[in-house]
Amino acid sequence: MLEFKLPDVGEGMHEGEIIQWLIKEGDAVKQDQPIVEVQTDKVNAELTAPAAGVVRKIFFSEGDIVEVGTTIFTIQEENDMPATDTGIIEEEIQVVRSDDVKVNAEHITTKPHHEAVRALATPFVRQMAREMKVDIEKVKGSGPAGRITESDLKQFKENNSITRENANQHDDKIVQEMAPMKDAIQAKGVENEWEERIPLKGIRKKIAEHMVKSVSTIPHVTHVDELEMDRLKEFKNQLKEYSDDKDIKLTFLPFFVKAIVIALKEFKTLNASIDEKTKEIILKNYYHIGIATNTKEGLIVPVIKHADQKTIFELADEIRQLAAQAREGKLSIDQITGSTFTISNVGPIGGMHATPIINYPEAAILALHKMEHRMVVRDLEGVIRLMMNMSLSFDHRLIDGVTAVHFTNRIKELLENPIRLVVEMR
Amino acid sequence: MVVGEVAVETDVIIMGGGPGGYAAAIRLGQLGKSVVLVEKDKLGGVCLNRGCIPSKALIHAADQYQRLNDLGKMGIRLSQERTTMDLGVWQEWKAGITSQLNQGIAHLCKENGVTVVKGQATFLSDDRIGVETDGDFETYKFEQAIIATGSRPFIPSFIKVDGEYILDSTSSLQLQEVPSSLSIIGGGYIGIELGMAFAKLGTKVTIIEMANRILPQVAENLVKEVTRNAKKLGMNIKTSSRVEKASVVDGQVHLHVSSEKKGTEVVVSEKTLVTIGRIPNTEEIGLNRAGVTVSEKGHIAVDIECRTNVPHIFAIGDTTPGPALAHRATKQGIVAAEVIGGVPSAVDSPYVPYVIFSDPQIAGVGLSREEAEQQGYSVKIGKFPFSANGRALATNETEGFAEVIVDANSHILLGMHMVGADASNLIGEGVLALELAARVEDIALSMHPHPTLTEGWMEAAEAVLGHAIHIVNN
Ligand SMILES: Cc1cc2nc3c(=O)[nH]c(=O)nc-3n(C[C@H](O)[C@H](O)[C@H](O)COP(=O)(O)OP(=O)(O)OC[C@H]3O[C@@H](n4cnc5c(N)ncnc54)[C@H](O)[C@@H]3O)c2cc1C
Repeated sequence: MLEFKLPDVGEGMHEGEIIQWLIKEGDAVKQDQPIVEVQTDKVNAELTAPAAGVVRKIFFSEGDIVEVGTTIFTIQEENDMPATDTGIIEEEIQVVRSDDVKVNAEHITTKPHHEAVRALATPFVRQMAREMKVDIEKVKGSGPAGRITESDLKQFKENNSITRENANQHDDKIVQEMAPMKDAIQAKGVENEWEERIPLKGIRKKIAEHMVKSVSTIPHVTHVDELEMDRLKEFKNQLKEYSDDKDIKLTFLPFFVKAIVIALKEFKTLNASIDEKTKEIILKNYYHIGIATNTKEGLIVPVIKHADQKTIFELADEIRQLAAQAREGKLSIDQITGSTFTISNVGPIGGMHATPIINYPEAAILALHKMEHRMVVRDLEGVIRLMMNMSLSFDHRLIDGVTAVHFTNRIKELLENPIRLVVEMR
Repeated sequence: MVVGEVAVETDVIIMGGGPGGYAAAIRLGQLGKSVVLVEKDKLGGVCLNRGCIPSKALIHAADQYQRLNDLGKMGIRLSQERTTMDLGVWQEWKAGITSQLNQGIAHLCKENGVTVVKGQATFLSDDRIGVETDGDFETYKFEQAIIATGSRPFIPSFIKVDGEYILDSTSSLQLQEVPSSLSIIGGGYIGIELGMAFAKLGTKVTIIEMANRILPQVAENLVKEVTRNAKKLGMNIKTSSRVEKASVVDGQVHLHVSSEKKGTEVVVSEKTLVTIGRIPNTEEIGLNRAGVTVSEKGHIAVDIECRTNVPHIFAIGDTTPGPALAHRATKQGIVAAEVIGGVPSAVDSPYVPYVIFSDPQIAGVGLSREEAEQQGYSVKIGKFPFSANGRALATNETEGFAEVIVDANSHILLGMHMVGADASNLIGEGVLALELAARVEDIALSMHPHPTLTEGWMEAAEAVLGHAIHIVNN
């Protein structure tokens, strides 16, 4: 089997992006047949098959950034192909001896046998490397006798993405020192004093894909209403003594979560999704509330599981913990998946209205806006009240406008009269 | 049902329910895939029904039987009556063990949502298989398939297994009576394991091996004690000899054996066992219709993810090139299942342990001294004999030794091998040490419980460092 490693096609390039595969796994190819298009810092190159054979495995997808020297596909050469004849078996005693118990790395797989020296690492670290898509043979071990530790892997991965980032960001000085201006501009894609181009990748790319999928699949409608918050504020202040005792920082968010969960239980289509394949509506009898959180990496949505089964204090505590973990980038996959309804709490930053985009495949999202004192009319008199707007975007395939208004009305009823909230809470 | 009329659809089809196939099925079930496991005979495959488990049950019985002879030394007197072996009763005991394990596997399959279908599977195309059961034929359509049809004994054309006089490993494990004499063609591990067991039960055993020693696949220094013991058991070992003709004359098997030293001679015995290797069951499963290619010897080449040349078809276990061992099949089965289930996984470790249930047992993992040297390492070797181990003396099992092989520069362990009582269990420490890339110091500095045979590893490791306690270091 022949492993094709990404060559240095531009002088001194470190990595390239896979633009397009021109073949697929299982294809037979001729020598010098174009296989893949790769974009490097400097050039756009078409790489060709080093030998005739069958493409066995493609390791990267289009859009992936690959380091020079990494195997990107394997070819089983023609003369290396197993024979198709299944009938004849050697009958000579001396030939067949499959009760061979000898250990021989070469026999275990058809993968070309590594040099005698194999990277030193435990099975767990090897598995981690596979999951992180890191070629463990490239990592330098800092452990005893050069063993590769978990932190070596993390470091390796980090360093690699940092170098990548640097190459793309505006660290002009270094680039200028290394090459004439012209090259520097090319090295970073098209960049000049009027515009700057940064490749769409990582979390930002994922967010972009997710958003496009959401709006292109779900017909969004947004409905806006306002809430009077004075009583809830007073109620929260009354609770301050208890929460201080318990060392809990009480915000409005746990109350919102509770009110929403109560309303969701009554309006089941808002805690639902559509299975497009089977054309079924999935009504969910569990209430996992996502809290859209801003982090330096971008928007992340930690999830409060079974929010209906938690007390206000428990919710407060969990929200604080999740937010902290989100900011430190320490959330596990489990903590950011599985939400059934999402709250986008943009209020603390500002704003009046929005058209939030539904967290696909959920049925709705509620954005909570800035709280402020506004002049409102009560009993035909102008009074000052603490007001807050909320914007509900919903999936119009599942939910009609009337249902959406009933839903926000219910939330309003609960939040404007916290006593009712407490009475109805489970 | 008419062929191809309605195909049952499933994510994954597994052909063969041996240790490779059933492990893959269970793992796929855990990963939420719909799985159909097709087995034509019994769940557990060769390993459980005709291989590892029954052979170890026989070896254990033979050990117990022979041990009675040694008890006098420890002051235990048996009553006057002669010890006898009733192989018929043993068969019942063995059947109990295998059926308990069969049921266990069936239960685990069920609990993990695996559909077990009894029948013979063949590929109809690269996304369909047909299953034949008692004249019925059903088709299944799959997204992915795993070939786990295992292997069967290889029998050369000049001899024919009849199950009565000429046996293969399967029929030898079904005997109802201990044969008075048995000639075994092939001195590999199966021949030696079964040969020693029958010798202990009183059979006059002759081993005929082509190579110049028995167990030719194992490093020479590990085999010596076994050879010596085989002779002590009265086994007749003919090396550098080949069988050219076999015939049954008057209820006796006549084997024509030729060797350079003795020319041709005739070995006569009550029964003959042929164990010269195994061949993969890959001819009659329609591989050409699925586009899967095999080697000249019938093995299916796979990559580290166990994929064949057809990317959505996997092969594992004895159908693939490499040592035909149950634990390798299981590992491959789990890896194939994980790859299908989207979990990154690979068979990328060179550490495939081997165990031979000879007397004494041999077990090892990693490189032998010769292999390490061939690969360019400068090696240090530490050896510790069982005769210097308290537990071995106290249990009257003083044969054998522990051997560790390390890279002289880094002190990283390259191989660990053992000859001696319970080596098959003790090698676990070696597998773990090598997988964890341990240094010889790691073993030397770990406190090993006393009095146990595990101390052998510690002392062998200390011997590499020049300071074993219970032997003189030179
Ligand atoms: C006497 C003896 C002792 C052994 N001792 C040991 C030992 O101590 N340790 C060890 O590791 N290994 C040992 N082995 C080897 C071990 O048994 C095999 O390596 C192991 O069983 C291979 O597993 P497998 O899953 O690849 O296939 P198998 O166990 O061979 O299972 C394949 C299964 O597929 C079924 N099958 C075949 N074709 C079809 C079809 N077309 N449709 C449906 N089903 C089909 C068969 O009925 C069988 O059940 C021993 C073998 C023998 C013979």
